[in-house]
Amino acid sequence: MNTLALRQTKAKFKPTKDKVVKDIVVPGPFASLKRFVPLLVPLAILSFWQAASSGGALSSTILPAPLDVARAFLRLLLSGELAENAAISFLRAISGLLVGGTIAFSLGLSNGLSRLSAQATDTTIQMIRNIPNLALIPLVILWFGIGEGAKLFLVSLGVFFPIYINTFHGIRTVDPQLLEMARSYGYRGFSLFWHVILPGALPSIFVGLRYALGIMWLTLIVAETIAAQSGLGYMAMSAREFMQTDVVVLAILIYASLGKVADLLVRLFESLTLSWHPAYAKGVRV
Amino acid sequence: MTAQALRIDQESQRGASITLNHVTRSFGALRVLEGIDLTIEPGSFVAIVGQSGSGKSTLLRIIAGLDADHGGSVTIEKDDQPAIARIMYQEPRLLPWATVIGNVAMGLGPQVESRTALTRARRALDEVGLGDRAADWPAILSGGQKQRVALARALVSKPDLLVLDEPLGALDALTRIGMQSLLEQVWRDEGFTALLVTHDVSEALTLADRIVLIEDGRIALDLDVPFARPRRRGSVQFGALEEKLLSTLLKSSPRNEEYVI
Repeated sequence: MNTLALRQTKAKFKPTKDKVVKDIVVPGPFASLKRFVPLLVPLAILSFWQAASSGGALSSTILPAPLDVARAFLRLLLSGELAENAAISFLRAISGLLVGGTIAFSLGLSNGLSRLSAQATDTTIQMIRNIPNLALIPLVILWFGIGEGAKLFLVSLGVFFPIYINTFHGIRTVDPQLLEMARSYGYRGFSLFWHVILPGALPSIFVGLRYALGIMWLTLIVAETIAAQSGLGYMAMSAREFMQTDVVVLAILIYASLGKVADLLVRLFESLTLSWHPAYAKGVRV
Repeated sequence: MTAQALRIDQESQRGASITLNHVTRSFGALRVLEGIDLTIEPGSFVAIVGQSGSGKSTLLRIIAGLDADHGGSVTIEKDDQPAIARIMYQEPRLLPWATVIGNVAMGLGPQVESRTALTRARRALDEVGLGDRAADWPAILSGGQKQRVALARALVSKPDLLVLDEPLGALDALTRIGMQSLLEQVWRDEGFTALLVTHDVSEALTLADRIVLIEDGRIALDLDVPFARPRRRGSVQFGALEEKLLSTLLKSSPRNEEYVI
């Protein structure tokens, strides 16, 4: 009886027949619950962790209880220490990304577009790429001390390669048939780049950007734990000296959420610029 | 005759003339075109047929201006002026990141102001019957619809010569027949010179006024097709001409003994 009444109300509001059928086949409550499926595993791990800590099976010197971490979060949030350190780290990360990313993007463009430029610089870049950027930390400390310059340099270097390689690759692999077509319609120089080459390379450039974001946090955190007097990495390291495991874990969680936020921003940007791409079309991505 | 009337008169006589004077083309040691001499009348519909590897696509690319490394001379002009030539490829080659109407507007080149371009693109889309798909992405169109968008893109700049490189080759039989009549219709409406490369003899007979058969880089046969339009396949004369073309085509094939009528 109830279902029938529901069906009738729905039928009143939905004019097309197939839409009504679809609504009845997929019931509302379950459809909205589906959105929480990705959260199930983290929630289960958290509950298990809290239970193990409260039961005494997990010592707080090894891993603090989730609730202790939450308390540490509140404490540092209220004292303003957290916001200050997070802001400093964020600023370092973004400036490194901007400096390294801009250089990488420009070099990727020029090497992708000009064979001469690629011949002149690509081999050198590929050689430097094989040095892990963190291996340069001792040298970088000698050059820049432990000031902002050292961190900016390391982050810029870290984000450089994924953005460079993917920009270069994206431009080189633009469909030559499309290029021939566009040239036959009189597209040359900037108009060819703007209408054909750049949009064709964009999916690849975004892959590079997302990869670079991961390296950006990794490099920054290592740099901050080794040589810094502020920032999230420094906060975690000084907490270690006082055995404040809750603050250490909190710092790790904040890294994770900062990484997630950066990834979401790129995805938003992707869905705005790549809506033509079947893989990024609305409704396809979860 | 006033200047304006003269211009209108010239406007109505659209279509470029093509003159090829001993055109040759080699790829390394391989000589693909052995000196082609050909004159094509303005406004005519000429089909170039040949087996794969006969050099017909090479000839087409030279005429379309996509290949400058050739010997001999190619002149494409309309009223002694250089003419606008457009090419339609075997693949639609639409930009996946531009909407259907954006792709058509692209046919006007980068210089045209966008509002004018969109108005003209809209008209060209209506002409190929896809006016209602203007805002769609190419990815959601069928193969035949994509080729119609490509046709609209080629037509939007009102070309004097339309070069067609087997544009219907990848379509299914029914879509193909629909596209053939669309091509014939726009050719009659717009009056451009059409040059179609195909390996499908019956397609060439359906569409063309004249069929040039290329074999081993030479013109092996040059026939006029006298049938009235619109043409019906399956008539006796149609069959006889098709037979003549096919037997010439297959004579050069190493496996000709397998061809039995």
